[in-house]
Amino acid sequence: MLQKMMRILVVGPKKDYQRIIDVLYQAGSIHLEDAKTDIPDGMVVRPLDTFHTEELSSLLIRIRGQIQILTPVDSKKHNKSPFIDKYASLPFKDLVVTATTICDSLEEKLRSLENRKGDLDVRYTTLLRYEKIIRKISPLEQQLPTLEGFEVTILIIQKEFESVLDIIHPFLSEITKNQFEFISADLDEKNIAVITVFSKKYANKVHDFLYSKNVNEVRIPQEYTNMPLDDALTLIQADKDAIRTEITEIEAKIRDISTRWYADLVTLKILLTDFLEETSAYSHFGQTEYTFVVKGWIPKKFLPATKKALVESFGESVVVHELPDDPSRYDDAPVFFDNPFWAKPFEFFMNLVTPPMYREIDPTPLIAIFFPLFFGLIVGDIGYGLVILCFSLAVRYKFREIPWICQLMSILMISSIPTMIFGYFYGEFFGDLGEHMGWIHPITLFGITWNRIEAIIPLLILTIGIGVFHVFLGLSLGILNAYRHHKTRHIIEKAGMLGLLSGIILLLGAYAGHVPGSVTFAVIALMLASIACLIYGGGSRGVIEVMGTIGNIMSYARLMAIGLASVILALVANRLSHELGILVLGIIVAILLHTLNIFLAMFSPSIHSLRLHVVEFFSKFYEGGGVPYKPFGKERL
Amino acid sequence: MTGWEVPIGAAIAFAGGAIATGIAQSKIGAAGAGTVAERPESAGTVIVLEAIPETLVILGFVVAAMIIIMVE
Repeated sequence: MLQKMMRILVVGPKKDYQRIIDVLYQAGSIHLEDAKTDIPDGMVVRPLDTFHTEELSSLLIRIRGQIQILTPVDSKKHNKSPFIDKYASLPFKDLVVTATTICDSLEEKLRSLENRKGDLDVRYTTLLRYEKIIRKISPLEQQLPTLEGFEVTILIIQKEFESVLDIIHPFLSEITKNQFEFISADLDEKNIAVITVFSKKYANKVHDFLYSKNVNEVRIPQEYTNMPLDDALTLIQADKDAIRTEITEIEAKIRDISTRWYADLVTLKILLTDFLEETSAYSHFGQTEYTFVVKGWIPKKFLPATKKALVESFGESVVVHELPDDPSRYDDAPVFFDNPFWAKPFEFFMNLVTPPMYREIDPTPLIAIFFPLFFGLIVGDIGYGLVILCFSLAVRYKFREIPWICQLMSILMISSIPTMIFGYFYGEFFGDLGEHMGWIHPITLFGITWNRIEAIIPLLILTIGIGVFHVFLGLSLGILNAYRHHKTRHIIEKAGMLGLLSGIILLLGAYAGHVPGSVTFAVIALMLASIACLIYGGGSRGVIEVMGTIGNIMSYARLMAIGLASVILALVANRLSHELGILVLGIIVAILLHTLNIFLAMFSPSIHSLRLHVVEFFSKFYEGGGVPYKPFGKERL
Repeated sequence: MTGWEVPIGAAIAFAGGAIATGIAQSKIGAAGAGTVAERPESAGTVIVLEAIPETLVILGFVVAAMIIIMVE
């Protein structure tokens, strides 16, 4: 459900405005509104003096750049660094000075190390390329002329453009007066290396020509030419070793600096980012000649703690004034979900739609009831329920620091309980294994044995019945929502829809002989009245929507259909392993198939249960478009 | 005793739903992949949208099951 929000005005002495902002930021409970508008008692509130954030932003960019160069030092430990207390207690100006000093002292050293490392990396990569080329052309060494005054150039050409060689050849022949050699070999899967040897006196013309044709030309550096290729390879290897050694030394130096400064820089970054965020909200604050004004929404349950924090810091000099409850402002009120522990994880699903309006009903508790019910109805197997419970507990423990995984696993955990209950109802333990072993049998209720394979029609009727209940509940909530928003036509339209659907169901009941025929005329009268309501409330679209709503109800048949598919796969797993005849092989096949089925059972029923809520249920009452509650608050260190 | 026409009829009912769902999901999936690439936060909504046409195959399955059960 949604927490009641209070609209408050915080007024304090202007000289203390920075401290007031700090206290409110630490409290992290006020959703800010523009303090300069809609102020009672004719107060004239001006914008707060502008705070220049450019200096702070550029300092943060420098710090982030340096953190990127440094090697992370145990991210868990640095959160508990003693430096946090040291820096956190500094006033803002001192904090900026400290951060600037540290940045200045590290910048030159880090930059030179980083630049040198970058240069070495580039050189190393280039050497690898030369090495690859030389290794490729070394078998051709014997074919190269050993004439003085000739230049060797290597061209790299993609295989798909191999035909370009035929174009280059006559031009080179013309430029060099036919004094050249042209040898090609595959370099790798995509490229060909072409070695050209020509007289040095034509070198400039040849290079100009190749450049003009966009041919990728590799010039082996001077130090590796004029020597046998084997010697060149040895020299390249030696250079590579030297580069690696130097890179290792540089990394060691960076590590040393990281050990000393990484935690400090991360702490400073968090504190300064907090401050920047704090100042970005300045446009919401206001001032009069002597006072500083903050206006916003606060959840009712957080109001006492916020008041207490302000009283402790400022005594009576800062006043929290609760603005009168004004229904015309409700559309601006942010929504804060405040559900009991059993419904809390299901708030995750509310992220899929826009938040409800403040006056709307929060459907989270209803999702918390129906989602596990639908999930259990579909999966319905004691064994699968146990596996899903263990899986969700294990994953929840393993990823306990990632909130969304915890939420998802809590949902699975809750859903596994109805799964086991329905499993008992259907008499399923890993498909029909429990029944074969004589451990469990399907329950017989209302004269029907609820074995899913045999009781398809009763299950279909049950699921459609659930659909009718769920859709009727949605329509009833729609009436309540419309009443809260004083939308009479919507109330009449939804009541008409309820009446018409009830009429159709009663007529079907009368046709099947479950409802006395004497009520038929009353039912037809109800339906006619309902159609009139639908036309009044929603026009012709209202009547057409009846078909859509009937389709929505039929859609609940998926609860039976997907469940049946799941139980048939479980039966296949058991039968196949039985047919194999070899115990060990049978057990392995059964485990593999059941594992597959359990993973499918965790995914598909979740999606379909969710879909039934978002598409079938929400469309009957949910409007959305509310403002999410975003308190002005501090990132916790 | 039922003839071959019952399972064939059930298969047609199921196949019609399955093919239609496949066509719809392929289009939603392609558009959804583009949406998620642009706005990763919309992944949840896209998954729900992707599940919407499955109503067709489920209804096809229900009709197929009813053909087999009722005719027998």
